[in-house]
Amino acid sequence: MKGYINLQSLPAPSTLVDKFWQLAVINGSLWKHFFNSLYRLIIGYTLAAVIGTLTGALLAQNETLKTIFEPTFNILMSVPTIAWIPIFLITLGLGDKTVITAIFLSSYFSIMYNTMRGIEMVDKSIVRAARMMGLNRLELFFNVLLPASLVSIINGFRLAIGYAWRALVGGELLAALIVWGLGKMVYQARYFNDAAVMLVGLLVIGFTGFCLDQIFLITIEKNTVEKWGMSQKK
Amino acid sequence: MEKIIEIKNVYKTFTENGKELVAIDHVDLEIPRNQFTVLIGPSGCGKTTLLNMIAGFEKPTSGEILLKNKPVQQPGPDRGYVFQDYALFPWQTVIGNVAFGLRHNGFSKEEAEKKAWEYIDLVNLRGFEDAYPHILSGGMKQRVAIARALAYDPDVLLMDEPFGALDAQTRKHMQKELVNIIQKAKKTVVFVTHSVIEAVYLADLVVVMTARPGKVKGTIKINLPRNRSYVENDYLHYREQILDILEEEVEKGFV
Repeated sequence: MKGYINLQSLPAPSTLVDKFWQLAVINGSLWKHFFNSLYRLIIGYTLAAVIGTLTGALLAQNETLKTIFEPTFNILMSVPTIAWIPIFLITLGLGDKTVITAIFLSSYFSIMYNTMRGIEMVDKSIVRAARMMGLNRLELFFNVLLPASLVSIINGFRLAIGYAWRALVGGELLAALIVWGLGKMVYQARYFNDAAVMLVGLLVIGFTGFCLDQIFLITIEKNTVEKWGMSQKK
Repeated sequence: MEKIIEIKNVYKTFTENGKELVAIDHVDLEIPRNQFTVLIGPSGCGKTTLLNMIAGFEKPTSGEILLKNKPVQQPGPDRGYVFQDYALFPWQTVIGNVAFGLRHNGFSKEEAEKKAWEYIDLVNLRGFEDAYPHILSGGMKQRVAIARALAYDPDVLLMDEPFGALDAQTRKHMQKELVNIIQKAKKTVVFVTHSVIEAVYLADLVVVMTARPGKVKGTIKINLPRNRSYVENDYLHYREQILDILEEEVEKGFV
């Protein structure tokens, strides 16, 4: 096994801390990378969340639309986002549009599918009880189907955050016009053989994903499905 | 007796694995207004199917159902439905559940909650109004469901084996409470059960159905005063009468 991994290329933990300090405090470039990435992530992800939830709900309620579109979605879903990126590069350009579209595409399917399945699995009696009270389709969707399938929808959101990060990093390192972004930072460090910068980038990406889940999704869950007893934490 | 629901020559089939099954075989029935009607029959006789057609959840294959002389096309707030599995909205508190139907029928939040309070009192749940359903016991959940179905003042209350999932003690207690609630609320009730004990305790009119395909085998008027006893002679006499009719049908179901 000796010589299998080139340990000399990896930094010591102290070097890592030092590098983080340099990037975050002394020259501050880490934050510019970070916020550029976060901006792309938020736009792509929010679009996917809104459009994914609505189309998922539509497909769950309309048998004809579902028959038409489900096979198409199945095919599209099996294509990895990274494989789409070259096509986006030549159609959407080498900048933000490509990256944001990649983020949207990668997170869209898990949100759409989980919404669709979640709504399809809502207890029939609950829907009937609401229809008996005379709710129209729109009221039924917002006041019954949406809250009743929230466990599943939140799961879709959670998976999608992970997919969105992957697309972000992949998109940034392939889009030539992008200068700022965590993916770019990691990729460019390769030219200088600077593993410490790469690892700082990876740690920030991982930690941000964790924070988004904790701050955003866990808070939603605590105040909704857990409070309502729809998903018990043991 | 004035009728509120007319079931006219209703026939209902289901297709299962490519085979056509007759669930309801030409049923004619009149449900009297402000009376407690119980549909009873062996399991699989189509009593729930009949109830669901009155509710508008399912459509007859042929024939029609009239509610106040108008054909039933779909569910609507002129009827209330109580499910065996409660079907409460888990994201709403007790008062939110009870007020839900009112909020969607033109009541403001204050009006709806004021009205909901009356029904929370009616089913004895004061003190639990802010609780979410998942912490309530089965009997309490079903009381919320009854209050929810009555709160928007439907003409008819439809109940599908509402106490079927409760333990024997709670069930008996709920039967007693239901009688009190209905006497105060003055409603027409159509109640599905397979328990003869329950039927004779609750009903003004018992409709006995045959094994599949479901037909009306006979109707029995229960002329007993309210606050009935489960052991008194007249009560037992009615029970025996219904049990005798049912026994033939249950046996048929096993041939």
